[in-house]
Amino acid sequence: MSEFFARFQALPDTLADTPILAIGLTLGAFFAGNWLFSRIGRPLWLPPVVLSACLLSGVIAVLAVDYQDYQQGARWLTVLLGPATVALGIPLYQQMHHIRAMWRPIVVTLPIAATMAAVYAVLIGWALGATPEVLASLAPKSVTAPIAIGITEQLGGSVPLMMGGLLITGVVATLFVDLLARLLPIKDERILGFALGLNGHAIGTARAFEISHTAGAFASLGMGLTGVFTALMLPLVFRL
Amino acid sequence: MPMLRGFLVLVLFFILGESVRLLLALPVSGGVLGMVVITFTLMVKGSVSDDLARASQGLIAVLVLLIMPGVVGVFFTADQFSGQWLAVAAALLVGTFLSVLTTLLLMKAVTASGVSDRE
Repeated sequence: MSEFFARFQALPDTLADTPILAIGLTLGAFFAGNWLFSRIGRPLWLPPVVLSACLLSGVIAVLAVDYQDYQQGARWLTVLLGPATVALGIPLYQQMHHIRAMWRPIVVTLPIAATMAAVYAVLIGWALGATPEVLASLAPKSVTAPIAIGITEQLGGSVPLMMGGLLITGVVATLFVDLLARLLPIKDERILGFALGLNGHAIGTARAFEISHTAGAFASLGMGLTGVFTALMLPLVFRL
Repeated sequence: MPMLRGFLVLVLFFILGESVRLLLALPVSGGVLGMVVITFTLMVKGSVSDDLARASQGLIAVLVLLIMPGVVGVFFTADQFSGQWLAVAAALLVGTFLSVLTTLLLMKAVTASGVSDRE
């Protein structure tokens, strides 16, 4: 019986030798997180990705699977991020008519706002004594995750830290846009949507689609353009 | 099958982007280069095939699944950055507040000054 128990204890590690355990755990946590999200009434401040990630970390810790082993197995999923980033070009192309209709405000706002989103974070972090690695992880905080991962890797930051910052940014950007829209006041859905996508990437875009379809379209546009602009600009600036 | 055909197009553009990045030693990721190239290709072509649209929708729908392994790392590498949490929190909260304010004010100023082509 004790032999059986020993084999039982070794089970997670043995299974973790193949990628299938990591894939199964990630898929399971993905669906569990989504289910939990709809069960607790779809709160804005707690997106499903946070729920799924907490569940997944819990399970990995309980099973005592080595985190490096998990990452190794999960490569089978993360390798798809490359083609998924390319896939973002298709909705961007489909939003093109919005760019044509409102090209002037977009051309003026986008470079300044997307640059400042990174500059504010880096300056504040730098003033409070963050290391270059941390600064490189904070810089792409307003960029959608698949693009931001590429940027952080190029800058030499920490991908996990960047992902945490990305999630917090998405959530607080959504709250700040709602707050400032009331204070300033701004009612134009196109402006609100664009600000949500530019600052709050996918989380902000999800919120914009709740406001209206127009806001959602402008949010996708803001998210896509910010991603491309920041990805092209940041690595060149960081080199200097 | 049709979805896989669209997936092949995405993979080819990604490989193209990676090749350009490696050959020209660019600091931009291959995925972003592939995205820029595919967007311009579609603009020149003027339409997007059903296969490609469906494959991209499918991949975008599971993006959360693909980024989760990266997110989970926060919990396992957190102690590496102990002592910098104040800087990180301030940069995220104050920085995001300022950048949202900047975006809204800029957009408001520019849309008010002239452009009024509503749809």
